[in-house]
Order: sequence, then C-alpha cells, then structure tokens
Amino acid sequence: MTTKPSALGAESASLPRRESRSAGAGADERGLMAMRDLADGFSRRWLWGAMAWQDVLQRYRGSLLGPFWLTLSTAIMISSMGVLYSTLFKMPMATYLPFLTLGLLAWNLISGLIVEGCQTFLVAENIIKQIKLPLSTHAFRLVWRSLIVAAHNFVVYVVIVFLFDVPLGPATLLVVPGILLVAANGIWVAILLGMLCARFRDIPQIAASLVQIAFFMTPIIWKPELLGPYEHLAHLNPFFAFVELIRAPLLGQAPHPTTWAIAVLVTLIGGGLTFAAFARFRSRIAYWV
Amino acid sequence: MQASISLENVFVEFPIYQGGSRSLKKALLRAGTGGGIARDAANRVTVKALAGVDLRIQHGDRVALVGPNGAGKTTLLRVLAGVYEPTSGRVTVEGHISPLFDVGLGLNADATGYENIRMRGLLMGMTPAEIEQRMASIAEFTDLGDYLAMPVRTYSAGMTLRLAFAVATSGHPEILLMDEWLLAGDSNFLEKARRRLADFVNRSSILVLASHTEALLTEWCNKGILLDRGNVVAFGPIREVIEVYHRRRTGDA
Repeated sequence: MTTKPSALGAESASLPRRESRSAGAGADERGLMAMRDLADGFSRRWLWGAMAWQDVLQRYRGSLLGPFWLTLSTAIMISSMGVLYSTLFKMPMATYLPFLTLGLLAWNLISGLIVEGCQTFLVAENIIKQIKLPLSTHAFRLVWRSLIVAAHNFVVYVVIVFLFDVPLGPATLLVVPGILLVAANGIWVAILLGMLCARFRDIPQIAASLVQIAFFMTPIIWKPELLGPYEHLAHLNPFFAFVELIRAPLLGQAPHPTTWAIAVLVTLIGGGLTFAAFARFRSRIAYWV
Repeated sequence: MQASISLENVFVEFPIYQGGSRSLKKALLRAGTGGGIARDAANRVTVKALAGVDLRIQHGDRVALVGPNGAGKTTLLRVLAGVYEPTSGRVTVEGHISPLFDVGLGLNADATGYENIRMRGLLMGMTPAEIEQRMASIAEFTDLGDYLAMPVRTYSAGMTLRLAFAVATSGHPEILLMDEWLLAGDSNFLEKARRRLADFVNRSSILVLASHTEALLTEWCNKGILLDRGNVVAFGPIREVIEVYHRRRTGDA
C-alpha cells in the first residue's frame, strides 16, 4: 500500500525511531541510559520550560498580584526582621538590611529547591505512568520553576540597592556563575531527593525539618563574624557557601575562595552520587511513584 | 522501514510496599539486623503482572488485548509505551509510539483548548514549530471551533476526548496504543475517528487496543491477544481469540 508522503507526517527529530529495552542491563549500559535520559531531558527545553511556566501561572491563577505575592511577603518579612535583628545585634540598618535581604532571597531559592525536590517525581506521577519521557525532564522543570519564582524577588533587591546605596561593581557579575552553580546543584538535589522520596515516603518530613534547622545554623539572619574565633566553622557549612555565591556578588563583593571550593566540591560529590543512584534505579522510578 | 514490536520473555513484577517498607526507619532497621529479615520474602511482596510474555506484532496488525480484569492488559500497554521497563526480558520497538491512555494527560482545566493542544503536543515530543504547523489540522479535526479559545474546564468529557485524540494522532505515529476510553465519543466523532484510524492502519502501522467491548474489537482489530494472569493464553486472528476467551469463561464458571 502506498500513501502520499504528508508534510505533517514529518518525523520528529526528538523521538527515537527504534528502541530496545532490556532488563538486567550491565552497569555500563545503565550509565549510558542514565546519561541519555539527562541529555534527552535537557534537550526538551520547550517542554520543561512550558511546564514550569504553567506551574507558576497555576499557583497564582486568579490572584491579583500573582507571583508578586511572594515578593510582597518577602518585603514584609525583611522589613520587620530587619528592624528587630539590627536592634538585637546592634548593627546599623544600612549594612544589616541588605545583608539580611539577600541572605533570605538566596535561602528562599535554595530551600525551595530542596523541599520541592522531594516531590520531583511524585507530582509527575500521572505523566510518568502515561507516557515515556526522560525522567530528568521533571528535574529541569522544577529548577526552572524555582528560578522563575526567584526572579520575581529581584524587585526587592532593586529597592534595597537604591535605598541603601549598595555598592555595585565588577564583582556583582559573579552572581551569574553563582546562580548557575546553585541551579546545577538543584538538578542533582531534585533527582536524588525525588527518587528517595518516591521510594521512602517519610523523607519529605525529614528534609523539611533539616532545612529549617539549616536556616538557623547558616549565617542568614546573623553575620558569621559574630562567631568570633569559630568564624571559620561557618565557612565550612555548604549551605553558607551557596548562600554566599548569590549574596556576596549582589552586595558588591567577590565570594571567598573557600566558598567556591566548597560549592564546587559539593557539586562534584552530589552530582557523582546522584548519577550513580540514577543509573542504578532510574528504571524503578515508574514503579515507585 | 516498517513498524514492529517484539517482546521476548518479558516479566513485570510490582513491588508492593505495604505501609512498612515505604518507611525509611524500617529499611534501616532491617539493614541493622544483619539483613536476616531483609531476605524474608514477606517483607517485599511482589505481584507478577506479566509472566514471561513473548510477542511479535508486525506492521499492519491491529491487535486487540482481551482478558479478564487484572490479566495485565494495562501493564502490557504501558510496557509497550516504554513507561515500565521490564523486570526481565527484552522489548524491541520499531517506529514512533503514540500512547493514548488517559485523556487527562497534561490537561490544565484553566487553560484554553489551544494552550492544551500545545502542552499535549510538547508532551508527545513535538517541537513548538511542529505544533504550530499542525495546529490548523488538529483544530479542524476536533470540530470544537470557538470552544478552543475557552478554558477546558467548560468542555464535556466527549469534547476533551476529541482534543486528546486529535493531538495523539496528529503526528501520524506508526504505533498507536489505546485503552478502553475511546468509546466515550459521540457517534459523529467516532465515525471521524474511525476514518482517521483506518487511514492510519493503511500506512501499515500498528494499533494496540485494550477493550471489553467485543463488537468494537472485531470491527477494529484483525488480531487478538488473550491475556490471563500475566500470560499470553492465545495470540491469533481476532475471532478465534474471542472464541477461546468465551470457552475459557464458560469453562471457569
């Protein structure tokens, strides 16, 4: 039977034409499949981009301010906490408030990635069980959504810059690699926690309380200098490193070399660990959710 | 190149996480007790959904999946779609697959019909350019007219179905996998869907349809697979398979 070739029937480049799936694949093959999942997932930027935007719109649909509600609540929190803690710590508002603001903005992004990372695959259950997609798509969707939400808080930063005359300089540009590094870590966190939480349903609670503890242990509302002789301990806190990657450049300072070193180390270790776990358990995720 | 599907000795086992084994604490405790309890089979009950399925589906085959509830029809469809990777065995698929299991896939009730067509198209692996290129023909096929600019919340079940069917078949996939729900359409639309499916099968593609409605199966399919408890009991011309199915049912009764 011959049929006229149809223009609409053009093969989608994004779809593999031939596939072979077999169980009991060797470690090499598993690694290869995990790699392909990540590459295919990333190449579907249209899909995860659209899903992330839809998530943001969905969350704030029907509300007047939309995602700017978050901006507003951040602004209110900063003004009240700024007054309280600058008095408690006896610090001038002009230096304390920008520090607190950027710490909180960075923390919102980081903690959001961790807490929502627990739901990476669970919220996508419907899609995972209906259609074959690279599973990493869901991680990219989550990280992109978090970045979109974080970008709305930029307004608060602009206000702070004008109000307190925050010095801007070439160091400010370091925020770009800083955010990229945070996003890269968001990807492995989303995949690793997403898998763990799909398999063990009590991990989200554990993660949420650990994140809360980390908030108080990390210099966000307090300055590391307050630790006196123990200040160097704060620099070893990986959460501090990632907060600093965003906070320091936006305050016009270059992050400390230790900060970069710790952040890169965490990225390599976390990324490697996650890749191993993803290669091993990727095919089980559909059974877990 | 012609579409084909082949399954060799495919097993699918579902782990049943009864309360406890979902818990991290229990998993750690098990690890801490020297693994003795971990080896206890009772801790991880598994259900065999497919037990050694061998199949070879060729281009032009319109295959009906029949069998009682729990026979493994949905699981088999999901294995074909690549959703479940088999616990053991090999699955080889030649050709683009378009699964049509759930009308609600990726559906956002607050978004308009057009927006949902775009999102569903992206989910099925199309690029935005491909979707725009096909938009006119998809919109035409749905027969929804001005409704496409309205939120999907306002649609009836049948209207949502048209939208899903139009997108799923728009790329002229070589392999179409469908679950029972297709019957929900009104007769006018079914006629249209039938024509598209007939056209589709003429391109020597594969259709796999799971259903309980015999009239539909004998009309649409030329082959049948009878599944029972994860095993292929019969595979052959549709009428013979349905006959075997009836014999077994009366035999069981």
